[in-house]
Amino acid sequence: MQRKLSKILFLFALAAGIAFADPIPTEALTQGGLTMRDRQLRDIGLVMRGGRGGFFDIGYTYTPSSEQLQLKSKYGVHNGYAFRHHYGIFGSWVLDSNSHFGFLTWFDRAGWDSQDFFFFPHYGKFAHISSAFTWGFSYTNTKYDVTAALGLQHQNLELAGKRVYPNESDSLLFYWAHARFKNVSFQGSFYRGTFQTLRLSLDLESRELYGGAKHGFKTYLPNLNATIYRRKKDNDDDNFIRLNWEQNLYEQKLYADVTFDFPDEGFRSAVVKFYPDPSRMIGIEASCYRRHEFAGAQDLLWGGAIDLMFFRLGYNSSFDYENMFHAKGTLIAEIKFHIGAADGKFFGRGAAKPAPMETTKSQFDLKKFMKSRAEQNSEAPAIDAQGHKVIEAKGIRYEKVGAPESTSAEGGN
Amino acid sequence: MKFLRLFLCLVALCLTACMSHLFVDTTTRLQVENKTDVVILGLDIVSDDGSSVQPWIKETIEPGEKSKVVEEDWVGTFRVRVRFDKWNGVHSFNGSACATETRVVVALAKQSEADVKHEVDDGCKQEGRVEMTFAEVELDFEGGSQYLVVSQDEDGKAVFKFR
Repeated sequence: MQRKLSKILFLFALAAGIAFADPIPTEALTQGGLTMRDRQLRDIGLVMRGGRGGFFDIGYTYTPSSEQLQLKSKYGVHNGYAFRHHYGIFGSWVLDSNSHFGFLTWFDRAGWDSQDFFFFPHYGKFAHISSAFTWGFSYTNTKYDVTAALGLQHQNLELAGKRVYPNESDSLLFYWAHARFKNVSFQGSFYRGTFQTLRLSLDLESRELYGGAKHGFKTYLPNLNATIYRRKKDNDDDNFIRLNWEQNLYEQKLYADVTFDFPDEGFRSAVVKFYPDPSRMIGIEASCYRRHEFAGAQDLLWGGAIDLMFFRLGYNSSFDYENMFHAKGTLIAEIKFHIGAADGKFFGRGAAKPAPMETTKSQFDLKKFMKSRAEQNSEAPAIDAQGHKVIEAKGIRYEKVGAPESTSAEGGN
Repeated sequence: MKFLRLFLCLVALCLTACMSHLFVDTTTRLQVENKTDVVILGLDIVSDDGSSVQPWIKETIEPGEKSKVVEEDWVGTFRVRVRFDKWNGVHSFNGSACATETRVVVALAKQSEADVKHEVDDGCKQEGRVEMTFAEVELDFEGGSQYLVVSQDEDGKAVFKFR
């Protein structure tokens, strides 16, 4: 009964999510490239905290209904799908006992189309698809605890329907660099001699994963980062600063993440995240996002998400609002997986501690294997279609045939 | 192993999106039948502010006739404008006054019933005058083959019905 009820409630929630979904505006799609590039660089910043080992991330959103994330253009509301595919790979080689050389590549493809076929894109007349690709090299020295990384960033416009989107530049080439000394890092991305973002991060929280404290007051120090974004308004510089403050609230399992925009816009978002394990493989979050569309409390978008390692389900979460073109009022499912590895330990994105693991002996024992196979073979004899026992010969036995008079009694076979 | 294969198949299906929407139409093949006693000059999709127009049915449809089928990428809810040569005996006329006049021929509008407006845009900036007798209505196109009947009710309203 209870199971039935929960099923009904789930379906109701799903239907409500689809029914009350708001269409995404075309303006959010044309700004998608900037969002993708910034998120990739933030991700790279988290991975460069260690700068060694490896990191792997893959995922794609799954929104089954064509009326779930419609497009709002000047002509009306179009049925279709907003989508986002992404991967991120970082791998490093050990050069000597202290030095690690790494290669990293991040890719995002996101947009809106009247079909969301991945292998054979539909390319409808109102589609907007763009992608961002970041790659580069890194060098880490564990003795001095420093990391340096640099590379290129490509932003490509795959398709933009002529009827509703403004003209955009294609194939933009940016370059970026990242430098870390202990828990201070600096990151910048540039386009033709002018900066796009400049970020200063102070990761004061002590992390066991990178040789810090397991518990105690040092794990309660804040992680701060300030980013200067280049922005133009009426051909004048209108740069702004975004301040992120991530704070451990309880045993590196409960965190608060608050974002402010200076000088004008003020509060932007607040997220409370709960990770049942500090390795951050699984997480639950509740978020509040200020949209700057309405006045007062109506402007705040409340939502949340649950991340179950291979699957993420979000509703109005600030991450989805930012990364899925202001998608709101609907459940957004993502099929995903991400894992980081360093020094034989595994962890999630931005984690403070490695995942607890059991040590198992994985050495191959030939004798044991042969024995278990022999036991398997000596099971009950098979029965054929007529119900007779079938005995298979397992070897040939030769017997010595002795004197001619004993042949009838002993006969060998 | 069996489950792994099934899982990989599901992932592939999700990526091609076949699982969720095998039969989702991305275009509408529209045919319009004219059941009014006036000539339909065309059917367009117009933007909310009226500044952009995308023609859909470009041919004129005589009373009692139907148009050719035209396939376009409009699936969703859009503002449709149907142009007539006249309505309730009011003809398009040529004048010389430099003014914009909008005459609402029918005052009431229900769902899928539309006011028919007579708009005179003298086009002071343009050469010549733009005059139009038209009905605007928001219609829901589900995609696939759709047959739109435009008729007139007793009150003189234009009625739009999908059949």
